[in-house]
Amino acid sequence: MLRQVLILSSQREYAQTMRNGLLKLDAKMLVNVETDGVRAMQLATQQYDLILLDAALDMMDGLQLLQFIKNQSPATKFVVVSESSEEGARAVAYQNGADFFIERPRTPESYDVALQALQGLFKTGTITGPLPKDVGTPPVSLIDILQMHCLSGDSILLMVKGSQQSGDIFIFRGEVFHAQYPGRGGENAFREMVRWDNGRVRIKTIKLTQAPPRTIDVPYRQLLGAADKPEDMTPQVEQQGGDLFVVASETTPTTASLAVINEAPPRDQPAPPPSRIFFPDPELSPRGNTALPQMNSHWRVTLTGELLEGSQVAEPDRCAFITTFIYRKMADVAVALEVDYFNELTLLGPHLQQVLVADNLGVRHGVFDAPWTNETMRAQYVKWCCEQSL
Amino acid sequence: MNKAFEKIALIEGIIAAAFVADGGKLLGWCANSVISPDNLAYIAETCRAVLSASRAEQRAAQTGVVAFGNKTLIFRESEPGLFMAYLDSPVDDGVVTWLFGQVTPLLAEEGVKLD
Repeated sequence: MLRQVLILSSQREYAQTMRNGLLKLDAKMLVNVETDGVRAMQLATQQYDLILLDAALDMMDGLQLLQFIKNQSPATKFVVVSESSEEGARAVAYQNGADFFIERPRTPESYDVALQALQGLFKTGTITGPLPKDVGTPPVSLIDILQMHCLSGDSILLMVKGSQQSGDIFIFRGEVFHAQYPGRGGENAFREMVRWDNGRVRIKTIKLTQAPPRTIDVPYRQLLGAADKPEDMTPQVEQQGGDLFVVASETTPTTASLAVINEAPPRDQPAPPPSRIFFPDPELSPRGNTALPQMNSHWRVTLTGELLEGSQVAEPDRCAFITTFIYRKMADVAVALEVDYFNELTLLGPHLQQVLVADNLGVRHGVFDAPWTNETMRAQYVKWCCEQSL
Repeated sequence: MNKAFEKIALIEGIIAAAFVADGGKLLGWCANSVISPDNLAYIAETCRAVLSASRAEQRAAQTGVVAFGNKTLIFRESEPGLFMAYLDSPVDDGVVTWLFGQVTPLLAEEGVKLD
């Protein structure tokens, strides 16, 4: 079933006509339009069942973008829309991971044909049916996918396929509720599954509407942190033909986000005392006339999540991760509202206030102690950010 | 809940507003534009994910104010769910306070406590 669609095209008229056509098929369908390839890289594209992508976007090669997004969204189907139906363009699209290829429709009749073809693509039942033997998607890091869905508070079933076996992981409202594969269930099954094929598996995602039975009570951060640690770092000793051989234990590859998980304390335990650091970018000297207001900490990340500079930043990786996460979520909101991306976001809490200032190059994130902060100080920080240039 | 949102729709500057319960169910909404209820529910869930992530980082927040150019999205999470309003102007703290001063009693009449 086709529920969420993203049309990624620089051709606004085509995008709007296609959007209207899709909504005629099903008024409940959520159809978003994005015209900027760079901004599309910031979207949480995993949520979409289908992405209609132009082979050539303004300022960007759509097929390169396809490769990038496909790695993030293995369960999403990608349809490449090209100006020409020439066989070479078709072959290149499929080589880059397209599931389907169409020539850009230009007449009402050709729109109807294209929409029928898209419907047909989803009538094959690969989303709701049993996991096919070859899902045709590249292996992805299971831990990364799990962390993303948990952090997003999703309710989903992940159908996981390793090279030898397959199983299911149920996430409900951002917590891992249950895991199972033939012969094993619960937490033990989960710990085994995240180690299948060194954590690189194929995944299909199905949304859950009801709470699944719960066999796992451990908070997801603790669960994922523990899952990433090798069971036993002691070298294994194998006896072969009377001689003893020492075999080094295999370690699971660690990604940047895994490092963040390992640093993260469980939600229900107090955080360890942070080690404050200061690392201004030596290439940058303060600009403008506005002084930085009194604040707890602040940092700057690029849109690709790289931390460039900051002050009083505890756990830089984690700060970069959360800023990027919030930016991406707000990018999704901007697309849903059909507006440009946010300029400022203020989060007000009982103890802390946060201000995020964004443009097309990066995001600055400032944290203030709530009791000592007023609107003028936040506005001063925004002004300072604008003077520094993002 | 519909009565409350009929009145909320009349508040000056409101483009759309919605209240989404803890389980993700859209309990009430209004929109003076083409924003669909599905989109409102989706936006509310996304805002909730941001608050949840911030809470997990030991930076709990209940209220968010997002400026999209000259338009503003305001959301507040409480025990029964998340309220959000989309306004057609920039806002300052005074406007946020004023807005919740208008909305809170209307929702309270329907049994929803925002604070």
